[in-house]
Amino acid sequence: MALMATTTGKSDKLAHLSACIGRVADKRDKSAFAELFDHYTPLIRAYSLAREPGADLVADELVQEVMTRVWLKAEKYNAKLANLNTWIFTLARNCRIDYLRRNSRYATEIDPTDIFNEMEDEGPGPFQMVQQNKAQQSVREGLEQLPQEQAEVLTKVYLEGKSHQQTSEELKLPLGTVKSRVRLALKKLEVLVTR
Amino acid sequence: MDQSNNHPYDELLAAYSAGSLPLSQALCISAHLEHCHSCGQRLQQLNHVGSELMQQLKPAKASDELKNKLLGMLDSLPQDLAQEQPREVDSRVPRCLHQFIDKGYDDLDWKRVSADIHSAELCRDSNGAKVELLKIKPGGSATTHTHMGDEYTVILEGSFSDESGLYGQGDFLVRDEKDQHTPVATQDRECICLAVTEGPIQFTGFLHRLLNPFIRRGYA
Ligand SMILES: [Zn+2]
Repeated sequence: MALMATTTGKSDKLAHLSACIGRVADKRDKSAFAELFDHYTPLIRAYSLAREPGADLVADELVQEVMTRVWLKAEKYNAKLANLNTWIFTLARNCRIDYLRRNSRYATEIDPTDIFNEMEDEGPGPFQMVQQNKAQQSVREGLEQLPQEQAEVLTKVYLEGKSHQQTSEELKLPLGTVKSRVRLALKKLEVLVTR
Repeated sequence: MDQSNNHPYDELLAAYSAGSLPLSQALCISAHLEHCHSCGQRLQQLNHVGSELMQQLKPAKASDELKNKLLGMLDSLPQDLAQEQPREVDSRVPRCLHQFIDKGYDDLDWKRVSADIHSAELCRDSNGAKVELLKIKPGGSATTHTHMGDEYTVILEGSFSDESGLYGQGDFLVRDEKDQHTPVATQDRECICLAVTEGPIQFTGFLHRLLNPFIRRGYA
């Protein structure tokens, strides 16, 4: 019962936030934007701090980048293609990649802008939407039940932004073990769509 | 447009979704995604994983100062950030390569590698990896050179075959240094591939990057 209540609470909250992004897009509504700021900024900062603990200025800079894009690109957000949380995640990911590239000692000429989409173009049809929502829920439930060692590699890769190589060095595990743990975790989360 | 049979393996696509893949390899994934609907769908799911993990983080509240600053900036933000500039690149070229190719494949500075192969270097990644296009003449041998580390290949045009089968447009392949395959372009047309080769300088580059990702930013 308690679990049901949290899940409902979460989806109500998400529906409310989705309405806010609609108001930002249609009416340039600053109070709606402020609500989005209050909800997402602590998560964006936490995402930045996961990679760079203690670097509050870096975290604030990421917040500015991401929330600026939310304001400017609200019109482009399409609730049929991606859930709002996932859109914010991809924006935060893209801004972080860009930030790291601009501030890396070993510069690369590769501009990530054209590599990463902000929304996957080929969206699901209405039938698939239901499947996607189910899949997202199973991801959420699956994460809670993931063995610690698999959750750990996912955290390294997704939140700390570590490559498999870096993960293997930090956890003192063979590279192959890191890869197979990621693979096992994904399998448990049932995110692998059958080809 | 969904004809590829060879896809990036799951943990590679997950690293792309997480943004933790070297950009040179991410280029290859992105080029593959333009041809592969099923990987696009898998990617969407993998993005949900990132999203859910992010929701589980312990929130770190921002200062009111930051909020007020940002709210005050909204009206003066340059609108062009939202606009995408149209470029006149040949539609054959994947979007992720537009940054290196002004018009089309023909205008690149192709250099002869062997009787069968020409190459055009596009750039280097920060880990030393070389990003290039390879053009193999019809029926030509696509075996290039020995190298250290892995080689990532995406077929952009044409096709080639080796002992294990036929590879066509959009196919994504990873080969390591021990790979014994001897691919040959098919007779009907030339074959153009995107190839990323890890370089030997990778190891020092990697360590420096690990230790000093923010060093150039003077945050004192
Ligand atoms: Zn694919």
